[in-house]
Formats: sequence, C-alpha cells, structure tokens
Amino acid sequence: MDRADIVHDNFLRRVAARDFPAGRAPAGPLSAVDAAQIYRSACLTRALDRTSRAMQKAGQGFYTIGSSGHEGMAAVAAALRPTDMAFLHYRDAAFQLQRATQVPGQTPLWDMLLSFAASSEDPISGGRHKVLGSRALMIPPQTSTIASHLPKAVGAAYSIGAARRNRPEHAVLPDDAIILCSFGDASANHSTAQGAFNTAGWTSYQAIPLPLLFVCEDNGIGISTKTPKGWIEAGFSARPGLEYFACDGLDMFDAYRVAEQAALFVRTRRKPAFLHIRTIRLYGHAGADVPTTYLSRDEVEAEEAQDPLLQSVRLMDQAGVMTPDQALRIYTETGLRVARVADQAVTRPRLKTAQDVMGALIPPARICKPTNGPSPEVRAAAFGGDLKAMGDPQPMSRIVNWALTDLMLQHPEIVMMGEDVGRKGGVYGVTQKLTARFGAHRMIDTLLDEQSILGLAIGMAQNGFMPMPEVQFLAYLHNAEDQLRGEAATLSFFSNGQFTNPMVLRIAGLGYQKGFGGHFHNDNSLAVIRDIPGVVLAIPSTGAEAAMMLRECVRLAREEQRVVVFLEPIALYPMRDLHAEKDGAWMTRYPSPDRQIGFGEVGVTGQGANLAIVTYGNGHYISRQALPRIEAAGVEARIIDLRWLSPLPVAALLEAVKGCQRILIVDECRRTGGPAEGLMALLAEAGHSPSRITSEDSFIATGPAYAATMPSADSIAAAAIGGAV
Amino acid sequence: MRTAVLICPGRGTYGKAELGSLARHFADAGLLTQFDAVRTALGQETLTALDTAATYSMARHTRGDNASALIYACTLADAMSLKDLDIVAVTGNSMGWYSALACGGALTPMGGFQVVNTMGTLMQDSLIGGQVLYPFVGADWRDDPVAKAGLLALVVEIDARPDHTLALSINIGGMLVLGGNEAGLGAFEAAVPAQDRFPLRLQNHAAFHTRLQAPVAAQGRARLSPDLFGQPQKPLIDGRGHIWWPGAAETAALWEYTLGAQVIEPYDFTRAVATAAREFAPDLFIIAGPGTTLGGTVAQSLILANWRGMTCKNDFQTLQQNSPLLVSMGLPDQRASVT
Repeated sequence: MDRADIVHDNFLRRVAARDFPAGRAPAGPLSAVDAAQIYRSACLTRALDRTSRAMQKAGQGFYTIGSSGHEGMAAVAAALRPTDMAFLHYRDAAFQLQRATQVPGQTPLWDMLLSFAASSEDPISGGRHKVLGSRALMIPPQTSTIASHLPKAVGAAYSIGAARRNRPEHAVLPDDAIILCSFGDASANHSTAQGAFNTAGWTSYQAIPLPLLFVCEDNGIGISTKTPKGWIEAGFSARPGLEYFACDGLDMFDAYRVAEQAALFVRTRRKPAFLHIRTIRLYGHAGADVPTTYLSRDEVEAEEAQDPLLQSVRLMDQAGVMTPDQALRIYTETGLRVARVADQAVTRPRLKTAQDVMGALIPPARICKPTNGPSPEVRAAAFGGDLKAMGDPQPMSRIVNWALTDLMLQHPEIVMMGEDVGRKGGVYGVTQKLTARFGAHRMIDTLLDEQSILGLAIGMAQNGFMPMPEVQFLAYLHNAEDQLRGEAATLSFFSNGQFTNPMVLRIAGLGYQKGFGGHFHNDNSLAVIRDIPGVVLAIPSTGAEAAMMLRECVRLAREEQRVVVFLEPIALYPMRDLHAEKDGAWMTRYPSPDRQIGFGEVGVTGQGANLAIVTYGNGHYISRQALPRIEAAGVEARIIDLRWLSPLPVAALLEAVKGCQRILIVDECRRTGGPAEGLMALLAEAGHSPSRITSEDSFIATGPAYAATMPSADSIAAAAIGGAV
Repeated sequence: MRTAVLICPGRGTYGKAELGSLARHFADAGLLTQFDAVRTALGQETLTALDTAATYSMARHTRGDNASALIYACTLADAMSLKDLDIVAVTGNSMGWYSALACGGALTPMGGFQVVNTMGTLMQDSLIGGQVLYPFVGADWRDDPVAKAGLLALVVEIDARPDHTLALSINIGGMLVLGGNEAGLGAFEAAVPAQDRFPLRLQNHAAFHTRLQAPVAAQGRARLSPDLFGQPQKPLIDGRGHIWWPGAAETAALWEYTLGAQVIEPYDFTRAVATAAREFAPDLFIIAGPGTTLGGTVAQSLILANWRGMTCKNDFQTLQQNSPLLVSMGLPDQRASVT
C-alpha cells in the first residue's frame, strides 16, 4: 500500500478516535483565524500531494515530489509579508498556498494542478516544468539543482539595502522587504549553500544590510542518507553574522511564533538569520521512492505517527480554534474539492512543439525610461583628465574603462561586482577609477567566491539593478558555472518570462598572455557558455569594438532583459602594436558614446575573394598580423571578425563570406568543443567547404611555450597560402 | 449530492416581471415582517408594498434605497429555498456581495438587511455619478482582449480630461460597467459606436465601485459596526476573486473590505466567477435572486476563464443543453431543478 494512502487512512482514523500524538500545548501569538487558515493550507497541501500521485498513475501528472510533512512552512508564510521575495525549497507547497491567501484574487489550487498537469496554462512556467512560483506572490521559480538558489537569495537581500540608496527604475521589492530562502537539511551541506551562508555572514559581519531569512527544513534525511542528529544545530547555532532560531514545524503555533520573531529580527536589524525548522518527510522523497527500502518500517511508521496535520488538529482543539470534527470535515472537503478541480485541470492544453517550449527562453523586452545621459559638465567631472586622452589611440583596457564609465553615468542602475574590481580597479586595471567615480556601492569588491559574485548579480537583477559582474579569469567561471547555466539562464524559461535577471557578465579570458599564468589565467574554452540556451556571448578584439559592443550588450540586458557574457581577451587589453614594435596599429580611438555595434553584426577587413578568414578575439589579431604575408603570396583575403559567438551571427556571416573561394576558420579555442565545430557545421550546411586551424586539445602551458598549442600568425599564413590545412 | 456555487445578483435585476417575487418565494414570513418593520421605522416603503405594487415604476422600484433591499430579500429567499445541494462557495455581483455575505453566513439575515438597506439608502441619497454598460465581446461571446484594452484605454484618456471622471466600475463577463460623472459618461457614450442598446446608461445607478463613492464608503463605515460581521459558514468569493474561508476570515478585514475597497475600487465579477470555477469546480452555478439578466454574464465569465473548454456562446449552449451548468432561479423550470 502506498505510504500516502497509509498516512491518509491514519489521519481519518486517528482524528475520529481522538488519538493524537503527544506534544506541547498551543502557545504564542498565532490567532485563531490564522491557525484555521494555516490548517486549511496544510490540508490543501496534503490533498495536492495525494492528487499528484493519482494524476501520475493516470498518466495525467508529471511530478510527485511532495510537501507532506513540511506543512509547518504555512506558518512561516503567515509570519511574512507577500512582498517578501521567497526563494523556495521544492517541498514548500504549503508556503505558497498560505501566501496565496494573503494576496487577493489568487487561484492557488487551480494553478498548482495546472503545473502538475504540465499545462501550458500553468501561470508560472507555462507548462515547462513543475515549479513552485508566482509573480503575484513574489515567488520566483527555482530549479531543483541542490541549493543553487541560495547565492541569489543573498544577492536579492543585498539589493534591498542598495535600492534604498539608489532605487532602480525596475525595482520590485519594498524598502522594508526581507528575503526568504528555504532548503532542506541535506542541501545545507552543499558547497553552494555553504558559500551562501558564508557570504551572508561575511557581509553581515561588516554591518552591511542583508535582510535575509534562511529557513532550513530539517526532516533528517536527504533521499536515503540521514543527516546526523544535531548536525544542523551544531553547524549553524553559532555561525558569525548569522542569528540562529529554531522551531518545531510540526507545531504551527511554535513555528509561527519563532518565524515571526526571526522575521522581525531580519526586518528590523537588516541582518541575516537562520531559522531551523523541524519537519518530517512523509511518503519518501518522491513518488517512485519507497522509503522502506532504506529505512526500517518502524522508523517510517514512527515518522508518520508524528503527522503535523494530526498535531494541528490536537493543537487547534486545545486552543479552541475548531473541534476535531470540524477539522476532519475541512480535510475531507478539501480532498473532494481538489479531486473536482483536478478533473478539470487535466483537460487543459499542454505544450506541443519545440517552438512552444522555447517561447520563454528569451525574456520579453521591457520599456526603460529614456535617458539623455549625463550633462557635459557631469561627464567631464567624472572623466577628469581622461577626457583629454580620448582623442588619441588607446589600448583596449583603457577604452573599456571609458565605456564602462559612460554606461555607468548613463544608467545609475548599473552596479559592478567582483574580486578586486573596486579599490584595485581589476587585475588588469580595466575598472580603475570607477570606485572614485561612482562609489563603493556601485563597485562592489566581493569575497573570493564566484558563485557568490554571480548570485549577487542574479539577485540584484531580480530587483531591477543592471549588474555587470566580473569573473576575474575564464577558468574561474567553471566552479560557478551553474549560477549562469542553471539559474540565470533558466529564470525566464521557468517563469514564462515573468521573472528575469538581465546582466552583462564580464569575464577576462582566452590565451596568448606572454609571461603570465598558464592554464588558470589563459583558459581557451567557450563550450560551457556557448551551449547555454538564450545566453549571448560577445567577444571583442579591439578597443573601439569593445566599447561599441559593450554598449549593445548593456542595451540587450537593460531593454531585452538578456543574460549576456562579454568576454574580454586578456592578451589584447594592453595590445598596442600589430605588425611592428611601436606601430600602434592595434590601438583605437574611443568611439563617441552614441555609437554601437549591433547584436549579430560582424566586422569585415578587406574585400579579397580568394579567401575568407573567419575568426574572433585573439584570432582576429593574429590573422591581421598574417594578412600582409597572405596577400603578398597572391591570396586576396578578407578577415571576418565574428564578434558574437553565441548565438552565431549566421546571416551576417553567410553574407560576409559570399563570393569567397575558400573559407578558413581560425579558432583560438580547442579543437574539441571550440566554436570552430559549430562554424564548420554551419558553413557546411550552407554549402561551403571550410577548413580550420584551432588550438590543440590541451591546457595552456606557463613560460615560453605559452602559445605553442594555439594558432599563430605563421600557422594562419601557412594555411591560407598553402590552402591545405 | 450535487455541488454548487451560489451567485447573488446586483442592482438592476428586479424589473417589471419580478413584481410579486417575494410573495411567491419568501418563505420566512416572520423575517420579511422584520425587514418591513425596519423600513417603516426609517420612513421607507415596505418591501411587501413594493413587491405587491399594482404596477412597476422605474422611479420607485429602481431607487437604490428600494431596489437594493428588494433584491437582497429575493436573493436570501432563494438561497433558503435550495434543496439537496452542497453549496461549496458563495459569491455575488456588486451589491450582490452584501447578499453573499448573508447567504454565506458572515452576516445574519437581519445584519445583511441592515448593511444592504443602509448602503442602498446612502447611494440613493448621494447618487454621485452614474454608470454605463458597454460590451467588448461580439454576439458569439468570444474573448476580445484587444477590444477590451481599447475601451479601457479610452476610459483612461477620458478620465484625464479636465472635469471628466470615468473609471472601470465592474468587470462583468463580456461587458464593462463604467462609472463616472456626467461629463465622463457622456464623453464615453459619444466616443463608442452604438451597438443594439449599448452604450446603456443604467437608471438610478451611481458610480458604484469608483473613487467617487469615497464619501458613501465613509458614511457606511460610520453607520455599520464591524460587530455585524462574523465568520462565514461557506467560503465567500469577493469582488477581487478573493476567498474568505470559514473560520479563517478576519472579520475586521471583512468589514473593512466590504465598506472600503469594495465600494470605491472596481468590482471584478468576472474574476469572482473564475475563482469560483477554478477553486471549487462545482457541478452547478446557481444564480439566486430576481431576474434573469445575470445568466449571460456568468456564462461569459466562464467562457473567458475557458471553463470546461468553453470559448464561445455556442460552446456554452451546447454544454448547457447536454448537462446544465448554470441555473437561473428566475426561470421557473431551472428553479425547479434546485428547489
């Protein structure tokens, strides 16, 4: 017999027999009407869990991870405001259902059933995934990647204090809001979670406002692995910068009392707190999980005997809220109601085509108030002595710095965050002077944790800021990649475009740095960025191009709400010369702030029809170095600088190679997984026969062999002239 | 047992054909006597006199202080006459909210009468502004969000003109009820093409559910005590589509909403019906009270919610013919199916 049916039968039998589990007497500030509402939400949670299993058996539902045993979260919801953004654990149906009672006009039952049924009318994900979430209830949907939502909860909490000082046009959180972020006891061990706790504590320790309530729902087990008894309390009760609260989630009165205290602490002190709520897990991990395969029957039955619904009936009876008979009637009526509504919900349409599914990959555009930009006086004051230098050719690092300055002048919602971006001005000086120009509140020196950097950006973006996080080196992205892949890139997809986190992530990367680094500072792999649906990847190769592309990237983020990665080739930051020492041919003048390079627009040098070299980044630079030799050999060539590496600029590229006899792809990334693979396929499908030179499938070495594995001007010239690659 | 959502009608539902409704259907003579006594004490004509009048008079029967109480009493009588049904929720349109409060147990029958009679009288005494009705769906009742958005944009544009006041008053199925001052209403009527009887000015109606009623709301709060309000016995769905659950309703908040936002902010009957369908999925939607005019708008509201896959009038008629979904107690044969 399904444990869900056993728990159901036990409830009916034990309430009728007044056979309740022992427990404390009801105490605390929870009112009778709130207790009744919390109980109703709990009954609805329970009925939905049972219905989800029935729907799955009937082939009409597609998700069975339940919230039964975690109904105490309804009491936590009751202690908060519906404008407090909530990043929820996947067992928090009770929280969402209770919150729905706080906002007029909600249809939480219908909505939840549509999500079970994967109907395209599911108001949060549009049928893409069963997620908890609601725009009206300020609950952004979460993926089920373990604990991956914690870093952005820290970011969202940080944004509240930041918005008090500098409120963005698209801010959504009130000044006195707090952020709730819930997760399980097993998830609390995840390194991503631990990073978020650490960041929250580190921030609070410095007295920076961070109104964040972590809620750890401790049911004592993660799928089949038990959490050591007392582990959560031992780990969190004395953590610096994190106030610890504990309550019993089986007792709605206790849960409400403590949650209210914790929320008050966070709201008034603007400091993070950790609410440790005891829960139990009924029915195992999900529908297919049979807990008796790894727990003894006695253990399972002992948990079931503590059913929080039974506890609630006892407590409400003792508190005079309602009699057990009344409670039983509500439970039964709720079950019947859910069954009736489910019969209708399963008839609603579902997604069918790829187009349907992909409809929300790219967020909707939003209207931004027009800005005239800063006055000449303000701009002059910001740039100071740099203004005079603008007439002269400059290396890329300086031009990017100026472009950032103009963008930050123009858009006060832009904030930058990263390791050493502020006071030091970046490892390569790209963000120098920006703290002096805009203040530390817009140039945030973060701790050393890329997940926290991206989490900060994602969270701030959800409250209307336009973050431009920086990851110091491309190789450092990898330990935080899921924040981009699993979180930032999926938010629009899972929320049907209702929640967005637009940003421009700046990363310094790629190879060819002389005398510095080796692999860790010269990573030449873009695969992890290029295969993320919806993410834009831009790579400039000259200073002027960088400025004009960066402006377009910021426009894409601000106005089209895109997640953009702007990858700056480190080796080109200081590059001045192209062919000979002191020729200054790779420096450019700073383009006026109104000039942009459009998304998907490629750069073309030369008009030769014998050969088109298709390249980007450093490859553009070394191809240009090779060009005189190629032309001297009688090969008339053109060089196409792709600029946009994801999605590939298909139309512009095919137009640019038109009429060329041969195409040579120069890819500084590795042969396996590098952009050349996609370019070869794209061009072949368009009827061309391209060839390629790429980096070897190797990591990059330190020292004299730093460029040995990568294309060079010589290898390009040889391939171009020889024709055989 | 069949499940049903009870829907209480608003103003404009007691017409000529409804004369004598109370005499026919109000089973609790003692209660009607109490209503009449209250009205007599207030110097108002009794409901019995109004209901048994030889002729129907627009001037007399549609006055707020008369119509509201009449409709309330008819609705209450109908609700009390329902048999063999599990009423899973109660809702109403506009002043039907007051009736819903009583039918759902949050107000006693006398308490409900006091609220409705007071508010109807205050509305009549003030009679601030008026209402006009205009459809945004065609004869097939298919949703036309573009047409609706166009009308609402027009409302905003007119309201922005000097000395013009116009606002959405009620979302009611495939139609909009707009409330405003004479300049606002006149400008709207001049701006939209005539269709059948629309734009239709509603006689003796004030600009209910708009900010113009703020003084009425304030007087209502002064005259009607929060103590009148108790816990609903049935889930109540208000004019925002919000559900007030038995045992879980803050009665002070219920009073505040009823005599606050409900009076001065748009009433979303369409959403209330959608909530009724989606959160309760009843076998039947039963429209109590006099008249038959609300049936179409309930059907339209269900179509707008795509309830049971309906997208147009034809879908509704087919469904209704095969297994009736909607019961108008103003229609004798339908009434017989639930009483």
